[in-house]
Amino acid sequence: MITKDKIDSFIEKIPPAPKVLNETIRLLNMGELAKAAKVAEGDLALKSYLKGIVNKPIYGFANEVSEISQIFGILGVSLSQQTVYNYMVTLLSPKNWTLFHLNAKSFHDFQANLSKKWEKVLKHLGIDDKNIYAAITLLPASIIVTEALFCEKKEDVNLLRSIKALDYNTILVRLCGVSLFDICSQIADKWEMDEKISKIVQSASGIKPSDDESINKLAKWMHLLLFYELSQPEFIKAGLNDFVDFKIDYVEDIYEEFATLMGIE
Amino acid sequence: MKAVIKNGIAVFSPQGFLDGNSSSAFMSIEDIDAAANLKADMILVSLKKVVFFNRNGLDVFMKLFMKIRKKSHATVGFCDYDAKKYDAIKRFYQNELNFSLFKTLDIANLFSSSFKNLNKNILVYSSDKSQRSAIAIELHDGGHNPIIAQSLEEFNIKKEKKDAYDYIVDSTFLGQMGEKVATRVTGNAVIYTVSSFLDVEIGNMFNIEYHNNSLNVGFRLFIFDAYKVISMNVHALNFFSKLASSAAEYNATICFVGMKFDKTPQVFKDTMEDAGILFYTQMDDILQNKELLKELGASSASNVKSKRVLNKETILELPKFIDATVVTLEMMTNAKATKEAANVHNLIIEDKSGKIASSIGYFGDIDGMVILVFPSAIAKKACELLIGEDTDDMELILDSLAELVNIVGGKIKTLLADEGVSVNITLPRTYQDVDSLLQVVENRRGVQVDLLFNNDKFLFFLTR
Repeated sequence: MITKDKIDSFIEKIPPAPKVLNETIRLLNMGELAKAAKVAEGDLALKSYLKGIVNKPIYGFANEVSEISQIFGILGVSLSQQTVYNYMVTLLSPKNWTLFHLNAKSFHDFQANLSKKWEKVLKHLGIDDKNIYAAITLLPASIIVTEALFCEKKEDVNLLRSIKALDYNTILVRLCGVSLFDICSQIADKWEMDEKISKIVQSASGIKPSDDESINKLAKWMHLLLFYELSQPEFIKAGLNDFVDFKIDYVEDIYEEFATLMGIE
Repeated sequence: MKAVIKNGIAVFSPQGFLDGNSSSAFMSIEDIDAAANLKADMILVSLKKVVFFNRNGLDVFMKLFMKIRKKSHATVGFCDYDAKKYDAIKRFYQNELNFSLFKTLDIANLFSSSFKNLNKNILVYSSDKSQRSAIAIELHDGGHNPIIAQSLEEFNIKKEKKDAYDYIVDSTFLGQMGEKVATRVTGNAVIYTVSSFLDVEIGNMFNIEYHNNSLNVGFRLFIFDAYKVISMNVHALNFFSKLASSAAEYNATICFVGMKFDKTPQVFKDTMEDAGILFYTQMDDILQNKELLKELGASSASNVKSKRVLNKETILELPKFIDATVVTLEMMTNAKATKEAANVHNLIIEDKSGKIASSIGYFGDIDGMVILVFPSAIAKKACELLIGEDTDDMELILDSLAELVNIVGGKIKTLLADEGVSVNITLPRTYQDVDSLLQVVENRRGVQVDLLFNNDKFLFFLTR
């Protein structure tokens, strides 16, 4: 159904991060917001994406924000970098979704929701590390990978899943020995993202906990946040709720804290 | 959201957070309609991967349960929860708890027809005395040995002796249980358990589709365990007479065991006997009598098959059946599957040792049966995706082989539908040894095809 060759071919086809994005991120890393904004202005698609994302209700700006310099200024270094990475991930997304009932808007909503809530989590945990802020951006890539690998096998997968409750990640691991999160890590490597980002996302699968307790703790929050988002009606209807397996035991020790933070009653 | 059905139990498995908004997305009106039409004895919602729920989140499933109960007689409820979730559900629905709660899916299985008569020793505890009794009675009726702990202290002491019990049932609540006619399979006989007053409702309680499927896959002996029947009326009489007539077309036999006629007119018995139904006093009169079993058709299903020969329609569709098998094997193993020799003859298995098999029947515009025979190690390889772990557990391997042949059946249905040929598939059946398979297909001619994947050989046989 899905072979290792197909996965390799998918990874091979992932383009390296465009020069403009690399330069924007490099400058953001140096704290040069104005210079980064100037470079980013050269990519009209990036500009349009940034405008679209930060003007979503979840970002809570009263007036429309339209200039990149303004956007970067308001967001600050960590969130600006996070948003640029979110844009890079969208470059991988398909024009038309077939496996999941998604479109560009709903996918961007998903990214925005995850990013804002991740910011809330990190503030709660007292973490101010731009790479950890950026880590959440890689999670939606797993949805894109699933769509890309399984879209032509939709009927077969549906038939298989009508007989046995298997999530896409488990199918991939059992067939190829590679998980969706391994593939996300490879994407991160290709884009020269910080190593910490890969490690957090790998552990956030809930099946490969990290030996590093600080990474593991973040991964638990990320795993639970993912399923909090995947329980939103829009994403349940999109068919995302069970695309990966929720490891309830993995997040048991942080659940109460998470529920209080998110105001779940 | 779709349910996965196994052993007559349909399970929905939502993940994450269940509140008023999310649960209506999990179960749309179409999903509820589809679920109400499921052919299952139990329809359950697993809370295993639900980290949070509130009453609004569960209410949508209440609508589902009500609709199912109105439409069929299946048992409905929740399963796979911890003590906290159990207490929360009981608190939410304290006065309206008319659904069931099973701590685990394994416990739910104990109350389903597929688990009957396995003589399991089961420790039972509930703080509610009437529940303790209800659970014990249900388990006893199912052929198990319930041991009731009368107090929490007694339960805690007894459960320490883990080896003494096959299962421990606690945090379980029986709401309205299914009123379907319980079904179990013993050897080549299908046993239905009926009780109390049999009236027009028997038509709803009896799973006629399962019965027809059983006929299609080769069962020829059907026994009604009627020890607990008090009486029957003319509607039930008509139902059984019709059932006997349709069974006769397959040369199948229907027997009643333990039925008393002190409150049922004797003339009903005469009518049923005229329709071909046989009466026995005790179950062992049949099951322990090998000669009688053979005579009744339970030791072999060969008496009618010789009349059903491969026809042109089946042969024309043969490539579809092989394609469905090849495509499924390729999907499950990522290996290329290829076809070798194909011949028309009776099923020939050269080396019977270490081989297991599974079969699935199809009926509709065309009918027949597909059989796959594997060396057990190869079956394990073929089912790796479904098993997910290295195992020598034969029960698990056979179970997975049944799932595999079920997928093949689903694929056959799809491929034939593309050609405008409409068929339904039966429940899959597995055979732990080739001899039991040969009993079923004895004297049946069919198309035998040797198939290969990863240089591993297995056998495909298509017959009617």
